[in-house]
Formats: sequence, structure tokens, C-alpha cells
Amino acid sequence: MIELAVASGKGGVGKSTITASILVELLKYGRNLIAVDADADAPNLHLIINVNRWIKEEKYYGSSLAEIDSLKCIRCGACMDICPFDAIYRRNNEYIINQIVCEGCLACKLVCPVEDAIIRRSVDAGVIKVGETKYGFPIISALLNPGRPNTGKLVTREREIAKELVKKDTIIIIDSAAGIGCQVVASLVGVDIVILVAEPTPTSFSDLKRIHRLTKHFMQPTCLIINKYDINMPVTNEILSYAKQNNMYLLGMIPYDEAIPKSIVLTKPVIEQYPDSKASKELKEIAREVNSILDNLNDWLSKYKPKKPEPYKPIIIKPK
Amino acid sequence: MKIAFAVETGEDLNAIVSSRFGRAAKFIVVEIEDEKVVNIKAVENPGSKVASGAAIKAIQSLINEKVDIVVAGAFGPNALSALEGAHIKHVTISGKPIKEALKEVIEK
Repeated sequence: MIELAVASGKGGVGKSTITASILVELLKYGRNLIAVDADADAPNLHLIINVNRWIKEEKYYGSSLAEIDSLKCIRCGACMDICPFDAIYRRNNEYIINQIVCEGCLACKLVCPVEDAIIRRSVDAGVIKVGETKYGFPIISALLNPGRPNTGKLVTREREIAKELVKKDTIIIIDSAAGIGCQVVASLVGVDIVILVAEPTPTSFSDLKRIHRLTKHFMQPTCLIINKYDINMPVTNEILSYAKQNNMYLLGMIPYDEAIPKSIVLTKPVIEQYPDSKASKELKEIAREVNSILDNLNDWLSKYKPKKPEPYKPIIIKPK
Repeated sequence: MKIAFAVETGEDLNAIVSSRFGRAAKFIVVEIEDEKVVNIKAVENPGSKVASGAAIKAIQSLINEKVDIVVAGAFGPNALSALEGAHIKHVTISGKPIKEALKEVIEK
């Protein structure tokens, strides 16, 4: 089993579009595939790669929230005073916790003088689903309820489900969320190869460098795809020289091509809908590169896996 | 000295070291004296159950167990900072049984 993650830092640069086409093309090389959509806030990989039917669904419980048992509550108000989020209010001589504002820190439970008057309740935060795509390989996707954050816990569970479905020589491709937060860390950790997608804009380049700090932290070999490379050559050149300095492997550069937005409208991988378009030709080249990396993985890793970790340590401000 | 190994399944020295730290299912805490194993204990990792801040929860449980060194496949940015604060050393090894990883750690 080999795990690949597609990430970008910045959103909307083409992660899912590129992932869908790589998946469909790798299938032609006879690869066993599993797709994981790790962007549960805005999941849409399943739309592009056409899920025939959902075969399994499990509930996902996020962080726990506090709830007051009004029969046990002695109305002392200690919980309302301590709540750092002002989530507890009083109505008709009853203390009530606003379930949307509550962060689940349980400070209220610590100060409550009555045993079990405040209970910890898991929140039904969404569902994780396993789908069968029209290409035959499975996809693990998730849908969050409004206001419930995507979490590392959710992504970790999606990856676990993927591993339960692994057959011989399976390639798992994880379509990460944007950003460099908890859920992205959980998408990257332990992954064999990371593919970073950037577009030639200063914002995308800035976010590329931020997420690259994470892959260097995890000592992961990192590939680069520049999407719409020809819309801004000066920044494309800057990204290329950054990639070269940092031993990133350039998988390919996709030209701006209207075939891509058209295929998104039709919810089809561009490679399938417009196989002769400029973008599809480059995507086929990219998939061929990925396939040959997988064929000669150890050689490739010896060249591109960072030898030394570069820890990305957040600055923690200590209390005085 | 106590060394904790992040694992997903297994309770003994044949358990495989996990590729992740904060969200690993449990830790096998191995106590050694004069390079010999004197005690083995499995500890559930509370980090595997929380939505966020997994590594911090995991490290609190290692502090409670008075662990000196922790072994896992990868440590995230928050994990590194907190381990430093807790004066727990970390060693990056994954995919090997604990008994092999233990040898490497002792040699280091």
C-alpha cells in the first residue's frame, strides 16, 4: 500500500480537479485505487468522479459538548460565571448551555458542585460515507453538519476506513483540504508522497511555502504541479526556482484551458470529457510520471525524500 | 527509564510502531533498567478520541506515566513544542516491531 496526498495550502487551485484526472488515468495503468476526500467542509471529489451508489455510512462524532441536567442542577450559577465562551445563560430559573456556542472545554463541569449535573455529550457532527465510483474504485468522503469543524479525528477515521479496504498494491490518494490546520496535518502524516498544487499567483505561492514547511517537517518527498502556469509567467518562474532550490520534484505544468471549467460544469474529469485538450494532455503526462515514480519508488525516494527534518515549531507564548 | 511506543494494535513487544503520534490508538510503555525490560504496560491514548489538540492530550498521558522517551513515525508541529516543554525526548521510527525499535533507541 502506498499513500499519496494532494494538498495546496491555498484553496481553489485545482486539487480535486487534478486528483480526479490522476485517479482516472492511473486506472488505465492497472492500479488498484482508493480515493479519500479529506475536505469535509466542502467535499466535491465524489461529484467529479461520479459515485454510482453509497455502500456504507457511519456517523461521525466530533468534540463533546456540555449539557446541564436540570433535575440535578442546584441553580448556583457557578457554570455561567466560569464559562470562557459565555455559552451558558439563565432562562426561567434554569441554566442552559447554548450548544452552538459551547466549545466543549468542560470548565463548567470542573466547577459544578453537584456530581453529574453537567454531562459530557458527544455531538453528531456529520457522516463518513463509502461510495462506489463508476470506475469501480471506492471513495471515502464525509459530510459535516453546519458549524462543525473538519478535524484531524475525522480525516484519521477516513484514512482508517480506506486502509480496511486495501487490497494488494493499493494506492490511496488523499485529496486534502486547503490550509495547514489540524485536518491537513492529519491528511499528510505518514503519507509516502505529497503532491502540492500551486497556481502562479502571489497568494498561492505564499501558501505553497507554508504547506511545504509542513512536508519538510514530516520529511516527506514533495512533488509540485503548477496549474494555469501560463497566466503569470513571472510568478511561475519564481515558483520553479523555489522548487529547484528545495528539491521538489516537478510533476508538470498545466496550461490555462477552458476545457477545465467546462468539465467541472459537466461534473466529469477533464481527462475523460475533453481527452484531447491541452490540459488533458499534460494531466496524462503527470499521471504517467506518477505511475513511473510508483514503479521505481525506492530509487525515487532516495533522491527526493528529505534527509534531515526541518522542524516547524509553533511559537508558544508562556504564561508569565 | 520509561520508553513509550505509539501503536495501533497489540499489547506486547511484537506490536508495530505506528506512523503517527497524537492519534495513535495507544502507547506501550516499556520500562528498562540496565538495558533490560522490567515492565510493559499498555496505555490508551486519549488523543485518539478528541477532535483537535490530539498531541497535547497524548503528551499529558505520557507525563502522567512519567515517560522519558517516546517513539512514533512522525510528530506534528504542536507535538514537538509540547514534548520539549514536557522534557520528553522523541525518536522517529515506524513500521517496525517494538523489540527492534527498542534496540535502536537503546543504542542511541
